[in-house]
Amino acid sequence: MPHPGSTSCQSPFHALSRRRVLGLLGGSIGFGSLVQPAIAREIAKKNKQVCLIWLDGGISQFESWHPLPGSQFAGPFRSIPTSIPGIHFSELLPHTARIAHKISIIRSMCTKDPNHSTGVPRIQRGDPIDRGVDYPYLGSAVAKLLGPADPELPPYVWIKPGNGGFIAREAGFLGAEYGALALGDGKAPIHIHRPESISAQQDEARQILRERANQRFKSYRGSSEIDAYETSYRMARQLMARKDIFDDTRIDPGDRERYGSHPLGRHILRARHLLESGVRFVKVNSYHWDTHSDNFNMSQRLIPQIDQPFAALIDDLDERGMLDDVLVVLMSEFGRTPIINSRLGRDHWPDCWSLALAGCGIRRGAIVGNSDRDGVFVDGTGYDIGDLFHTIFSVLGIDPRRKKYGHKGQKLAIAHDECGPIREVMT
Amino acid sequence: MKPPPLDATAVWISREIKFPRQLFRARFSPDGHTIAAGGQDRLVHLWDLRGEEPLHRSLNGHETWLSSLAFHPTAPRLFTADYQGVIHCWNYLDENSSKPIWTIPSADRDNVRSLVVTPDGRHLISAGDDAIIKFWRTDNGKEFIRLEGHHDCIFSLAVSPDGKHLVSGDLLGTIRQWDLADGSKFVRVLDASLLHTRGEQFLADVGGVRSLAFNAEGTLLAAGGMKDAKSNAFCPGKPTVLVFDWLNGKIRSELRIKGKSDGPLNSLCFLSNGTLAGHTEILHANSELVFWKIDQPDPLHSLVNPSAYELSLHPDGRQLLAACYLSGGSSGNGARKRDREKYISNGSTLRVFSLYRQPADT
Repeated sequence: MPHPGSTSCQSPFHALSRRRVLGLLGGSIGFGSLVQPAIAREIAKKNKQVCLIWLDGGISQFESWHPLPGSQFAGPFRSIPTSIPGIHFSELLPHTARIAHKISIIRSMCTKDPNHSTGVPRIQRGDPIDRGVDYPYLGSAVAKLLGPADPELPPYVWIKPGNGGFIAREAGFLGAEYGALALGDGKAPIHIHRPESISAQQDEARQILRERANQRFKSYRGSSEIDAYETSYRMARQLMARKDIFDDTRIDPGDRERYGSHPLGRHILRARHLLESGVRFVKVNSYHWDTHSDNFNMSQRLIPQIDQPFAALIDDLDERGMLDDVLVVLMSEFGRTPIINSRLGRDHWPDCWSLALAGCGIRRGAIVGNSDRDGVFVDGTGYDIGDLFHTIFSVLGIDPRRKKYGHKGQKLAIAHDECGPIREVMT
Repeated sequence: MKPPPLDATAVWISREIKFPRQLFRARFSPDGHTIAAGGQDRLVHLWDLRGEEPLHRSLNGHETWLSSLAFHPTAPRLFTADYQGVIHCWNYLDENSSKPIWTIPSADRDNVRSLVVTPDGRHLISAGDDAIIKFWRTDNGKEFIRLEGHHDCIFSLAVSPDGKHLVSGDLLGTIRQWDLADGSKFVRVLDASLLHTRGEQFLADVGGVRSLAFNAEGTLLAAGGMKDAKSNAFCPGKPTVLVFDWLNGKIRSELRIKGKSDGPLNSLCFLSNGTLAGHTEILHANSELVFWKIDQPDPLHSLVNPSAYELSLHPDGRQLLAACYLSGGSSGNGARKRDREKYISNGSTLRVFSLYRQPADT
């Protein structure tokens, strides 16, 4: 969420609305109590937002954050200096190299699952200890634990290629209410605009009728599907009231150029608009990073597509005074093998990989962890996904040691009990 | 004694050199006595084949993977290029020299993907990521001319047997013909767009004209790659050769494979009897060396072989060299227990295939 006092941004998406202020100061928190530290902390927590950029399939750490030039398994690309003295990235990340002092890199992720089908849910759920429940994905977890940043906007929006819709399954045991509103290709849900032939009163009457029908249906059937339907309908109505967010005529042409016209560029720019508008958690998905074949030709084409908009997003959030409150996570489900296979690709490698973090309680310019000389295994402490979830929750002001989910009378840990926050990456 | 007749269907592996690192390029020298190869370890490797056992030495000069090799047709010169745009010229026969004769530090913005030398030996031609074809004098490495017109990276170059024409093939499936006799003027485009795929959900263009080869008479041009790629991640496609009638520039035949290989044909060679040889790639399985008669879509013959990235025809016309993949045993997803003890790089096997019936006494 933007800092109310920030004046550097002229973005039309960035005007702090009255309802955002009310959302911030809502509940029992009175303006006069701002001086109290506990309440100040509560307000600070309400400010927090998250942007998770998910490169599905697995970006190669060698061709991005951890090039290891001259080592046995290094790729063919140059490594270039970054704005952090002594730290190099792959030459495929020139924009991010320029803003490296604003982000942190963890080079010692060591996770357990080498497969996509099981790895993606495991990673996005934080791989908690199995207690026989279906844990929520990170976006749903944050939607539950922090609630909406703006009460009139969905807390969890997922920008993805292909179709959109309401994706209830990400909420797991939390229930459909915490599912993701998916925007196919970053576009507004279809039918967001009320047809001109229907008046506001008629629309309201339709809404009441629909709710009554749902209540009746719910009274003798299971509630989950109805809840999902109700939630998706409510979110659609919320967005109908905020269709300005999707008004592309308001986008600065300079922003389009800086973020890029490719899907990741457009989607990350949309994510910035949603964050500025007050969405609590925005996930941006990009698929086809699973470069088992032709890894080097593909990395040469793909990695610039994340480099440009990621750096632009960090710069913009920083310029707007938002970076201290918006956590940006750039990751995949694992990295890629040091060994190069028969089709000049790299396979899946959870044993030592890298990711990027920025903003919201994350140190600026920290390079955490290292690999052995050839980038095969972690040298020193490796961090599992549970450690990352502890870190994410901690910087969002949620104490994973104390905060629990309640489910059918059971208290459930929000992150893996045996993991802890990665202190080196936190301010 | 009269040598056995050329017969691709009788192909057999007559020599093999195993190497612990991956080699992507390998070529016979013009006299056939030397193999030059390069790849992942940044060194130029030379094997003298004249003894019972090949004699190996290496040249150190590149700072990244080797991407292309070419021999001078008459002088003892080897040209090597890399992924960062550097070209070195070596006297590969001088065992006392370990330094390049000359170096071009930035022959391309990035990867120099193809090198050829004109038949008269006067010019080295390079092309790659910056989509510009450059001519260099072979005696001193000075730039002579540059040709522009491609809209994306160039994968392949070939000079016609009479030395009059250059062809260049790019990622987008465009082949451009240049007239070397007339100031390297652009002549025409040959459409190989079948070898390029950009699906709706792709993040990148896939495929391209990965290889080009003229037949001995200069009447046919073969363009290799793959068609119908399914994604930009695994990049699986159908290995394909388009054979152009050189006179009219039209596709005369489209050649395919019968096996399971799904990678591009990175290298093609015409044999003197008109048979075309090519090699494919596949992930974690055996690929194949394939031979075609150019008017028959299905192969004349194929030999199961690991994935390979370059074929080179011996000057005797009766042997093919392939830089082939050799598994080190650690491939696949994630670390196995044994990898914790020793994580082994994949390697290479340089295989020489003899293209005649194997003598009974070998």
